[in-house]
Amino acid sequence: METRRLVLTLTGIGVVLIVVLGGLSIALLATGGGDGSSSAQNGSQTSPAATAQLPQRVAGELRLFGGDPISLDPACASDADSAAYIVELFSGLVSFDKDLKVIPDVAESWDTSGDGKVYTFHLRKNVEFHDGSRRVVADDFKFSMERAVNPDTQSTVGEVYLNDIVGVDDFIAGRAQEISGIKAINDDALEITIKDPIVYFLDKLTYPTAYVVDRREVGKSTCFQGADWTQHPNGTGPFKMKEFVLGQRIVLEANPQFYLDPKPSLSQITYLLSGGSPLVMYENDEIDISGVGVNDVERIRDPNEPLNKEYRTGANMSTDYIGFNTQEGPFNDQRIRKAFAMATDRDLVAKTVLMDILLPAKGVLPPGMPGYDQNLAGIPYDPEGAKALLEEAGGPDILKDVTLLTSGQGAAPSDALAAVTALWKQNLGVDIQIEQEELGIFLRDIDRGNFKMFSLGWIADYPDPQNFLEIKLHSQSPDNETKYSNSQVDQLLDSARTEGDQAKRISDYQEAEKLIVDDAPWVPLFYGQDSVLVKPYVKNFVNAPFVIPRMRYVTIER
Amino acid sequence: MNGLAAYVLRRLLLVPVILFVVSIVTFALGRYAPSDYVEIQAGPRARPETIERIREERGLNDPVYEQYIRYVGKALRGDFGQSVKYRGTDVQDVIFPRLWVTLQYNAVVMFLTFAIGIPVGTWAALRRGTWLDPLSIGAFVLVASVPVLVSVPLLQWLFAVKLGWLPTGGWHERDILGVKVGIFSAEAILPVLALTLVSVAGLARYMRAQVLDVLDQDFVRTARAKGLNEYPVITRHVVRNALLPIATLMGFELASLFTGSIILETLLGIPGIGLFAFESITSRDYDSIMAIVLLGALVFQLAMLLVDVAYGFIDPRIRLSAEGRT
Repeated sequence: METRRLVLTLTGIGVVLIVVLGGLSIALLATGGGDGSSSAQNGSQTSPAATAQLPQRVAGELRLFGGDPISLDPACASDADSAAYIVELFSGLVSFDKDLKVIPDVAESWDTSGDGKVYTFHLRKNVEFHDGSRRVVADDFKFSMERAVNPDTQSTVGEVYLNDIVGVDDFIAGRAQEISGIKAINDDALEITIKDPIVYFLDKLTYPTAYVVDRREVGKSTCFQGADWTQHPNGTGPFKMKEFVLGQRIVLEANPQFYLDPKPSLSQITYLLSGGSPLVMYENDEIDISGVGVNDVERIRDPNEPLNKEYRTGANMSTDYIGFNTQEGPFNDQRIRKAFAMATDRDLVAKTVLMDILLPAKGVLPPGMPGYDQNLAGIPYDPEGAKALLEEAGGPDILKDVTLLTSGQGAAPSDALAAVTALWKQNLGVDIQIEQEELGIFLRDIDRGNFKMFSLGWIADYPDPQNFLEIKLHSQSPDNETKYSNSQVDQLLDSARTEGDQAKRISDYQEAEKLIVDDAPWVPLFYGQDSVLVKPYVKNFVNAPFVIPRMRYVTIER
Repeated sequence: MNGLAAYVLRRLLLVPVILFVVSIVTFALGRYAPSDYVEIQAGPRARPETIERIREERGLNDPVYEQYIRYVGKALRGDFGQSVKYRGTDVQDVIFPRLWVTLQYNAVVMFLTFAIGIPVGTWAALRRGTWLDPLSIGAFVLVASVPVLVSVPLLQWLFAVKLGWLPTGGWHERDILGVKVGIFSAEAILPVLALTLVSVAGLARYMRAQVLDVLDQDFVRTARAKGLNEYPVITRHVVRNALLPIATLMGFELASLFTGSIILETLLGIPGIGLFAFESITSRDYDSIMAIVLLGALVFQLAMLLVDVAYGFIDPRIRLSAEGRT
């Protein structure tokens, strides 16, 4: 009996020891990375401690729900979640203002040569890195852009956004030690030479790949290795990193030295990376802005609902579409593609399934995009005509084994897509199965043309029709998954690319769009729209259609 | 005791062998799964050539055994690689904070479960045959069978939205003596409540059955016949004996301290290890997956070893019968 008691006691002590010591060592390991600085910073806040509530709001603080960034390195980010932080922390030569106009940023002004190929940027003399140690000079930009393109950096987006610059190809191929088209003339002037006089070059320069980073801290880090510095980046943007706890929160504080007006008014922005449903958090006053999903929008739209007054929508420059493989049967036949377009009642689906959270699409260019044509007829809904056209092209039997490829993780496909296929079944008598693939595999199959038809969306990188029409539908574009090829369209797109006369340029794009819509490599389904709730004390929140630096406009007025 | 030491030693020697097997299987499963992190994270604008070049540079095109040897070589030197979900961050810096989150709420749940479940189960057993009996069993079965998937939104609605007492989710840690502790924040209440409800009900039901089992044993009747008061009979004889199988249960609980509930952590947005394990699988965060699985395998083996060793000592029936034979 005695030994048993002894053993029981010892086991008990063992269990307690494991829990306590294991917990303690994990806790120490867990917080070891945070080192002294963060605890010193938080010292004042934690003394009232253990009052079990969210930390007290600071005056002028904005609270948001935030996505987990994959990378805060401007050279690497390819996702919108990461970019949303990067554009507030870093800055580039030019950026978009809240009206989506290209404005001077670190560059105070620029000259363009007569042939439109040489840009000379004149840098502001008062732009410093956040730590105040050094001003930003032209060579910092050269370094940062070369780093983004350098194969050693392993960025998937560097060359996409910067390959218009002369010498990028040689640099990537290792034939040159530097990008010949980027010259730091002196500290204040940077000269960039581009291959063709494209008019949207400045738009592309607003993307983070052209942002300036502090060469002293990025060192030899790549997009996949040694990114510790991104947890406390020394940027130049309107906000500085105050605190970054992986998976929990990102806190940005205003950069009082910021050089553009308006300077940030918010004292800090707290992004909560953890937490359940944003809408519930919003209703519980934990965050100040929340998106609204299709399941909640009906309630929010009810005028009797108190939240209704805080509801607003804004354009989101994106288009959802069905794409066809135009080089292979059965969809190499324009009549069949057109029949599918005619059989798709987008108005009905947008209204009944999507609760008007997205808008029915007639063309490729979404509202808000220059060149968006409100009067575009598109291919109207015509179930009788669709059936007749399909019969003429061979009837429903030739579509027996066709599946619609979409990306997903095994959950039910979207209701909207299910409704679209149901319409096809009803109007065309074809039973199209939806096939889900994991995103990476899906994109690979789309790239390689392993599909008959797929469902995808495209969101603008910059407000220029080239970003949709040429990139997605020019026969030579690597992003043209449908392999659509129409020489007339190509010609129009080629000339619009470098056309200096804006009116002519837009009309070229609109003409190209008409041809495309009629050829139906896409069935445009829906235009994007942002539905958000914004607390009444949050003023000047810009509902931007894509990622732009917008937090410096926001004010809190209680 | 010699036999015991040899047994423990043998089991400990097995640990690296099992870890080795687990690592091979996990590694192979990860690499042979279609697609990889470069493709998944590349974004829609990336050129296929760029993706291919990066895959080549990162060694993803090498034969899997070569990649495995490279991994083991580095791991033996203490380098467990870098996360790609949080690009460029050391795996241990990503995993330990998350493990710490999960451990905090799990430890409190475990404590509450035993502290509440044992007395409640005993109490229920002693009410056998009264009108309270079906009521308590019904309550246990009901609570234990409501999945977290259902109970969490209900609790969220009640305590956060309706009453406004608690935040709806999330996790907030503050510095206490240099250690970041989240369990004292209001955010911790919902997960602890949701998990405790289920496991208390489960344990109480189990405890009730154990106590009922013991109550029918001869020695209890003997104790009562000897004229002992009801209270010492219950505490000294009944509960103590009913607790023996529960102690074994505790070993399993120990191992599960380090595994988070994916559903709970997803619903409440708790940045624990369960949610991260799920995310790292979907984002093909190879090095993080390996570290999580290997750590889990290690903890599980040590806990099981503890259980097995303790089991031989704790259960008097085994010991007594062994003594009886000699």
